[in-house]
Amino acid sequence: MLNTTLHRIAQSIVVIVLAYTAVFFVLNVLPGDPIEQQISNPENPISEEDAQVLRDYYRLSEPAIVQFGVSVQRLFTGDLGYSLNSGQPVSELLAHALPSTFALAGVAFVLAAALGLIIALAAVFAPWPAAREVARSVPPAFLSIPVFVTGLIALQLFSFSLGWVSAVRDEGLGSTLLAAIPLALPVAAPIAQVLIQGLSNAAGQPYVEVLRAKGLSENRIVFGHLLKNGSIPTVTIVAITVGELLAGSVITETIFNRTGIGYLTETAVRNQDTPIIQAVVITVSVTFVLINLIVDVLYPLIDPRIGKVTKSEVVPA
Amino acid sequence: MTVVEALPAPQTSRIPQRLRLNVWDVPPILFLLLVAAMIIAPGAIAPYDPLQENPALPLAGPSPAHPFGTDYIGRDLLSRVVAGTAATIAGSFIAVIIGLVAGTILGLLAAYFGRATDSIISRIIDVLLSIPTLLLSITIIVALGFGTVNAAIAVGVSSIAVFARLARSEVLATRNLPFVEASEHLGAGHLTLLFRHVLPNSYSAVLSLAALQFGTAILAIASLSFLGYGAQPPDPEWGLLISEGRNYINSAPGLVYFPAVAIVLTVMSLSRLAHLIRKKVG
Repeated sequence: MLNTTLHRIAQSIVVIVLAYTAVFFVLNVLPGDPIEQQISNPENPISEEDAQVLRDYYRLSEPAIVQFGVSVQRLFTGDLGYSLNSGQPVSELLAHALPSTFALAGVAFVLAAALGLIIALAAVFAPWPAAREVARSVPPAFLSIPVFVTGLIALQLFSFSLGWVSAVRDEGLGSTLLAAIPLALPVAAPIAQVLIQGLSNAAGQPYVEVLRAKGLSENRIVFGHLLKNGSIPTVTIVAITVGELLAGSVITETIFNRTGIGYLTETAVRNQDTPIIQAVVITVSVTFVLINLIVDVLYPLIDPRIGKVTKSEVVPA
Repeated sequence: MTVVEALPAPQTSRIPQRLRLNVWDVPPILFLLLVAAMIIAPGAIAPYDPLQENPALPLAGPSPAHPFGTDYIGRDLLSRVVAGTAATIAGSFIAVIIGLVAGTILGLLAAYFGRATDSIISRIIDVLLSIPTLLLSITIIVALGFGTVNAAIAVGVSSIAVFARLARSEVLATRNLPFVEASEHLGAGHLTLLFRHVLPNSYSAVLSLAALQFGTAILAIASLSFLGYGAQPPDPEWGLLISEGRNYINSAPGLVYFPAVAIVLTVMSLSRLAHLIRKKVG
């Protein structure tokens, strides 16, 4: 058990290191010299002295491998570099943008989980076959509608037509909730699908017969027993869900004029501000890998049956 | 469309099953045929030149002359949606081909040769999977530059991991079946084993994923265009059309809704098609 955990931790570290290396070289080396190009871009508002400081900072005269080494070294001191357009430290920009995105992603996560649960309950336990059929077709539909379309529809409906939330000003929870709806829909779909599978499996187990024979009402069986056992598999897609929410913020924040990491990324891409893009991608990637690791380690504790299976599999291998 | 043509007769199942089409399967297939027609002969379907401006008639609502209305400089929206089909679908097609070919090769090699090859390829897959697809494609776009083809490449590379992971597990399941082993003992080389025995018997799931991934690629490419990283104006492209129409969503909501409906119907039809393929070959 301890061995597998250590193995998983080592594996996660390797993935993070490799991901950082890959992103660094894709952004800094592949197309010639993007940092130099952006610094010397005539449209860049940065001053000549600042530009020289940035050139020295990124060691642009030295080979890529040296630049990479320097960037890794700085990473350990929490230095993520400086924006090529404003000269501001990237770590500061990121720290400024993260709370807004975390709030958005958090609300969207709760929304997606609730929506997924409602759809799954309807799809498995609705008393009418037609209702179950309809509920089953909802997740694929959610997955077919682009976030920017649901976002624009939500904006038009709630901001312009109904006037509930301002489209421009940030009005706290109301604005966050409005932006979270389109972000949550495509994420609710996989949650619902995994839950449907889990609940159907749980409903077919022999112990359900025993519960029924004991005289428990259907509601007690569903909400007291099946839900607990059937929702365990959803834990496995938590990491993917969080990753999708953080990445999806690029589109939602653009539509709803929110200043989180999605907006930061969007402007950075437009300005070819590679240090910011690199920092955002790595932050999201590390978050994703860490949550995945935590889930993998905790999963056998939540569901002891899993631990036993993997153990017996690991021994002969 | 192309996915259907590329589909081999189900050689793996002993009893040749006839595919029973549900009533609900007909509209998606008809719609995909319409999409195919819009790609092959956009000029025959579109009533006007998609780039022809008409200053006298900006932001007109739907009318018999302009069924979808016109945009802010009077260009006919129906013609632009029809003309944009090719850009969106061709981009998604390139993306799926990149993901399918590269992913299958990686998964095949990893599962067939195992050991070091498997570890190396599995780490590559892990790294690709550790970055959400939208962010990964944005990263690649930044490296390659904006444009329709670059967006397609970026989406394609982002989808390699999904294909590779599935191909790997499918090949692993086939690799050690008795008939493969028998062929190996009869002296078959690696290539024969791979392409004659392992690949054909582990391909149905990957094909079904390709159809599903086609829809995902359309959404991804439209998203990148919407953000302004894919097709550039004045070219018509579904995501870009929505991006151009978003400022007029109050006065002329059709500018957003008609291209959106095109995207949603295409993706839903493709997901239905993926379902049919899975039923037929799976």
